[in-house]
Amino acid sequence: MREPITRILRGSALALILLFFLFPILWILLMSFQTNADILRIPPRLGFTPTLSNYVALLSGKLATSSGTLDITFLRNLGNSLLLSVASVAASLVLGVPAAYAFARYRFRLGESIAFTLLSFRFAPPLLVLLPLSLYFQILGLTDTYGGLIWVYQLITLPLILWIVRGYFEDASPDIEHAYRVDGHSWWRTFTRIAVPLARPGIAAAGLLAFIFAWNNFVFALVLASADKQPVTVGALAFVTAAGIQYGQIAAAIVLSILPTLALALYAQRWLVEGLSLGAVKG
Amino acid sequence: MSDKARDLCKARVAGRISRREFGKRITALGIGAAAADGLLQASYTRAMAASFDWMKYKGTTVKLLLNKHPYADAMIADLDAFRALTGMDVKYDIFPEDVYFDKVTAALSSRSSQYDAFMTGAYQTWQYGPAGWLVDMNEYLHDAGKTAPDYDFEDMLPNLRASDSWSGVPGAPLGGTGAKQWAIPWGFELYSISYNRNIFDQLKITPPENLPDLIEKATKITKDAGGPYGVGVRGSRSWATIHPGFLSGYTNYGARDFTVADGKLKSAVDSAESKAFHELWVKMIQEAGPKNWATYTWYQVGQDLGAGASGMIYDADILGYFMNGAGNKEAGHIGYTPIAPNPEAKGPTSNIWIWSLALSNFSNAKDAAWYFIQWATSKQHDMFGARKKDLVDPVRASVWADKVFQDRIAGSYPGYLETYKATAPDAKIYFTPQPLFFNVTTEWAAALQRMVAKEVAVSEGLDQLAATINRELRDAGIG
Amino acid sequence: MSDFALPVPAKRWRVGRLLPYLLSLPSLLVCVGIVIPFVASAIYSLQRYNLAFPTGRAFIGFGNYISFLSDPSFWNTVEVSIIYTAATVGIELLLGLAIAMLLRERTFINNVISVVLMLPLMTAPALASLMWKLMTNPGFGVLSWAVSLIGLSNFKWASDPHTAMLTVVLVDIWVYTPFIMILLLAGLRSLPPAPFEAAQLDGVPGRFVFFRVTLPMLSPFIVTACLFRLLDSIQQFDIIYAMTQGGPGDSLMVFQVGAYLEFFQYTNVGRSAALLMVLWVITYFLSDRFVRQWHKLRERRQGHA
Repeated sequence: MREPITRILRGSALALILLFFLFPILWILLMSFQTNADILRIPPRLGFTPTLSNYVALLSGKLATSSGTLDITFLRNLGNSLLLSVASVAASLVLGVPAAYAFARYRFRLGESIAFTLLSFRFAPPLLVLLPLSLYFQILGLTDTYGGLIWVYQLITLPLILWIVRGYFEDASPDIEHAYRVDGHSWWRTFTRIAVPLARPGIAAAGLLAFIFAWNNFVFALVLASADKQPVTVGALAFVTAAGIQYGQIAAAIVLSILPTLALALYAQRWLVEGLSLGAVKG
Repeated sequence: MSDKARDLCKARVAGRISRREFGKRITALGIGAAAADGLLQASYTRAMAASFDWMKYKGTTVKLLLNKHPYADAMIADLDAFRALTGMDVKYDIFPEDVYFDKVTAALSSRSSQYDAFMTGAYQTWQYGPAGWLVDMNEYLHDAGKTAPDYDFEDMLPNLRASDSWSGVPGAPLGGTGAKQWAIPWGFELYSISYNRNIFDQLKITPPENLPDLIEKATKITKDAGGPYGVGVRGSRSWATIHPGFLSGYTNYGARDFTVADGKLKSAVDSAESKAFHELWVKMIQEAGPKNWATYTWYQVGQDLGAGASGMIYDADILGYFMNGAGNKEAGHIGYTPIAPNPEAKGPTSNIWIWSLALSNFSNAKDAAWYFIQWATSKQHDMFGARKKDLVDPVRASVWADKVFQDRIAGSYPGYLETYKATAPDAKIYFTPQPLFFNVTTEWAAALQRMVAKEVAVSEGLDQLAATINRELRDAGIG
Repeated sequence: MSDFALPVPAKRWRVGRLLPYLLSLPSLLVCVGIVIPFVASAIYSLQRYNLAFPTGRAFIGFGNYISFLSDPSFWNTVEVSIIYTAATVGIELLLGLAIAMLLRERTFINNVISVVLMLPLMTAPALASLMWKLMTNPGFGVLSWAVSLIGLSNFKWASDPHTAMLTVVLVDIWVYTPFIMILLLAGLRSLPPAPFEAAQLDGVPGRFVFFRVTLPMLSPFIVTACLFRLLDSIQQFDIIYAMTQGGPGDSLMVFQVGAYLEFFQYTNVGRSAALLMVLWVITYFLSDRFVRQWHKLRERRQGHA
């Protein structure tokens, strides 16, 4: 059906796109198997003897450098990232999905204002909130607690989930829910048995995107938490030492920190695209 | 330990016998050098404990905020000695240098009691002190009940002691009348040339003697060395670009940052001396600096030297020291030389950076935290860091005089000690202390970037910079 | 035409009047708790307040804002932010749309490519910038080496005021195009197939279909993607701060970098807060416009469908 010339054009366009977006990732992956001396060569070269020393250093928590052994808390940072991101997304889902449902299904006084206010939090400059926040956390005793951090992370995750899931609820026909209600089931049963399962792709996709943004956050934890609660984004900077930047370890840290998200994305792949169809009108 | 050995150690600690004598006699007792060293350290600890109630805060925990730095690593490695001496515990949060000072500002500005003591530089205390975040440590230093009799603050290099003390009056000299001791010096760095001996040998050139000579040789390296560029200096849009080699050279050319009259400051970056120096510096970067100079920080400057991408650096002596260590391609090839940039100057005028320890005003355990600071800046720990770890610009005169330390450095880092000795006499902070330090130096770095990129001529750029600085000073009520 | 979407009137039935409030208020309260500090910031912005000058603290009304008006560096910040935002959102939208069009068909390989293309988004910008800095290093950088092969041996990337913007925009495109791509791809695949089938049967040229059918139907998605990206982009911090700290000169001094320096380096709380308030007003205004547009498009589409 399609002309071969379009196919070739299409194929080469895709190849170029993949090259642009994946080359840096590939380069990072290669660096993670190199020593710093191999990475810092002029001009850069492809040939090198692969080494697992970067990964070993990260996983064992010890790294020998010119200025003695370096203690690495990478695994702990990774654990913090997981804890903070998962808990934040979970909390956002618990809070956000019912709210999204309310905005999608009911027209109520101030409804749109509340929805917009929630969305606008996503867009408040984080620094604006952060500066006085450290003072308030001090008073509330939330400084340096996971709970406090998860609360602040809601600024990143909640509006995103709310916005996407709302679109998904709006697209789903209310008729099934209506019929189920007419059968004499309670509102809560209708919501949990019909509405939420139908919206699962939207929830999964929104949850994944929120997870990525929470995972990548840098400045909240830096300002509000002590070293033992820092995520990988801050923790990986520990390889920037006065005695040199350990690029190999940073590359390995990036690779290891991408893996959980990538696994999640591949698993959620079938819902990912389908679930983001906010605003679509389904047949 | 035999009684004889113990007596020997006691005699050595009390200074009754020389190190050489001690070495001879302890060997005669059949004790090896390493074991003897251990015995001696234990004796020092006991001696410290004997003369002062180090156990007063037994059971207390002190929390520190630290920057990821070899100096901090040296301290952490010796923490057990502190625990044994005081019965106290130490917990610490360590943050990468990139974000360290932001973390300090965040913690102190929220009046957090989370940290008792923290690492700082002198410039930072010009903000933290007036803001009321620091404890003036004079009250501890001059209290015999709080400071051990053998602490010997006077043993610290006088320029360093002065550099960490200031009255808080903008423009008043460091260490002058009414000065408060905002922090205690702990380890420092000064600015000289570290160079790649292979490249210099290959091109048959000698280490540079002054700035015009440096520019000439650096240009030759860029042209003839087949890849590496001539000289690495920092260039990012930050105060850190201004304070190392740049300010050392600036001072050497007779230029000052401010003139002070009647308690008011006025920028002096538009002076004739300043313009002459800026012309040279800008030319140096344009002709022989790294191509990506405007993004260069401490890390890139060091990395290029260590990887053989640059012929030399005009930066911290300890940066050249680190790059001579294992893991770097050029390890073992780095040479050191002092520099007086102005051909007419009598000698180097190096600015300095001092890693210091400060006491938070929001701490709930100030006295106990002072015990920690006192120990970390004591002769004993300074000696440990210098001999065994990379605390290679120690702050105490007695440590610099230590033969073990000298021998270790001379063995693996030839030229380092000589460079230090030539640079140290006039090394001190050459900035005029005032709370807008970071505004001024950041603007200064931005202006320098514009000059190097040829967006503005040097003379014109400096006139604009002076006007900007003067406006900010006026806005803050100090100009 | 059986696949064509059925009109779905927004049916809403009456349950207890309080229910929607009960459902949405927890979310609101959680966010409002966080936003109490926002009020504090607003108050700071009306003060002369530098932590290093504790005695000089005073209420000065709109003094900080008024001083912006005559400050060329403020207008530079506005200009740089607009250029950065326009360049990143514009290019990312075009590129994201193009990729989404290429991956439109629901095949396994296309699905895998779309997930793999999200890898840059999964790399934290704070760390990605470190790597880009290395890749553009004149000595060890693979990208510098690559451009030198095509004759640009003196390309200075983020270090030259003329190419600094280009460099950070490139990194931003690399990180965030996948976000737009995935939203638009979802949109494309959710479009009803009927109009396209009809067009094909009638032999309508592809370009016409794209501009007259695809784009209009896709517009709510484009608006959403634009909204999220635009508001993130105008608040850019991580990439620019890590790559150049706002330099060289003032060439990349965007709002949040400026505000960050004002607070963390200069301890000037008042000025920092005022700068952020200006940014907040801009983002509030933009998001309000976008949300209105979004509602309009949705209603029109639901009406048409």
